[in-house]
Amino acid sequence: MSFIWLAVVNSTSTAEDREAVARMIDGDQNGLAALYDRHGRFVYSLALRIVRDQADAEDVTQDVFVQVWRQADRFDPARGSVVGWMLTITRARAIDVLRRRGTRPASVGDVAAFDTSDDTPGQDMQIAWAQRTREVRTALDSLPLLQRLAVELAFFDGLTHAQIAEQLDVPLGTVKTRVRHGLLRLRDRLAGSS
Amino acid sequence: MDTEHDELREACGLYVLGALDPAEQARLVAHLRTCDECAGTVDSLRQVAASLPFAVPQVAPSPELRGRVLSAAARVRPPRSGAYATTATSLVTPAPRRNRALAAGWLAAAAATVVAVALWSQVSSLQTRLGDSDARLTDVSRRLDDSERRLQASTSETSAVRQRLAVLTAADAFELRLVGQPPARQASARAFVSSTRGLLFAASNLPALPAGRTYQIWYLTRGAPISAGLMQPDAQGNATEAFVVPPDLATPAGMAVSLEPDGGVPAPTGAIYLATQ
Repeated sequence: MSFIWLAVVNSTSTAEDREAVARMIDGDQNGLAALYDRHGRFVYSLALRIVRDQADAEDVTQDVFVQVWRQADRFDPARGSVVGWMLTITRARAIDVLRRRGTRPASVGDVAAFDTSDDTPGQDMQIAWAQRTREVRTALDSLPLLQRLAVELAFFDGLTHAQIAEQLDVPLGTVKTRVRHGLLRLRDRLAGSS
Repeated sequence: MDTEHDELREACGLYVLGALDPAEQARLVAHLRTCDECAGTVDSLRQVAASLPFAVPQVAPSPELRGRVLSAAARVRPPRSGAYATTATSLVTPAPRRNRALAAGWLAAAAATVVAVALWSQVSSLQTRLGDSDARLTDVSRRLDDSERRLQASTSETSAVRQRLAVLTAADAFELRLVGQPPARQASARAFVSSTRGLLFAASNLPALPAGRTYQIWYLTRGAPISAGLMQPDAQGNATEAFVVPPDLATPAGMAVSLEPDGGVPAPTGAIYLATQ
């Protein structure tokens, strides 16, 4: 089961991204600059969504790019795209920040959880990306509210199974089922819209 | 085995989001080695999870961040680069052996100089380190203050969130969708109303408020509209607010949002921006 959107991302950015990574391995900072110009906004936006604080989101973004720079030679193209690699690092770093804070800021009920706005894509976002953005948002909007909340609390707020159950005030088994059904439904929607 | 499978297949969703507790995760990982069905589900759900960042509203970082990132990278050693590795071997050039005694005296003097230079550089490095530690300590206490402030803010945010969640999970909650009216076609909103737990109102894409104006939310009932509360969207035109519902409110037939003077009015006077269909 592979999705066309991955192919879209691949065709729009992977060749250039891999070249940038190759330059970074040679110690060429221009490779890093190119990667930042293409994806800095995307990395920052994800970090901001998770940490909900501009200064922290900028720190996370800086850490992500420094890590990518230092570990460029560990990037394995067989395991996915450069962007996918960076976003994985971004989410992990951002959730680290949340956990270091020891408390969680607003998890749901704030703008982002209900956001259905369609931003103008930045220069760094290819048209295919903008289209993908719309598709993923539409798919998320189509989920029953509590499935969507459970998925978002896990992905964007880094909550554990037990914490989600507590927040939503539902049994552990219900959380499991909701997250699974939510993701399966997203999968079907996304496959259908490609 | 089959009950194990039935139980663990449910956990695949939480697993790809990294939310399973460690014990259950270990069981699932072991199960994935022998169960093609679950392994396939996990693979496909991983890709779904990887697409979630696309749902995030895109925000540009400050223009200075680019320079910060590049100079931070310049401070760390680039990968696989030998250019930054220095060796000490070439620093000492042996003296020519024309005159041994002279050479010995010169060497002693040189050695003393080397020792002095080494001591001086150690002292100054210690001083630098002391200065560094001081700066770090100040930084740490500043961060501690920061964290405390955040903790307080988060605690009050958490109780606001709980209130909002209570609305969503209330048995009597129902949802109304509002669509943009002529002054704001692109706007939309969702309202969750529970007579016992309150109103949760989430609007997006509202135009920026003119000075001295506010958006006012209304319940549309058989009689006159009843004010539900005031709302000020953020710079992106989005707002989410929780309100108490009047105890005597009959189930509203619909809701609307109008533009009103600051502070709100008892009955709508301004243009309608959002309304249920």
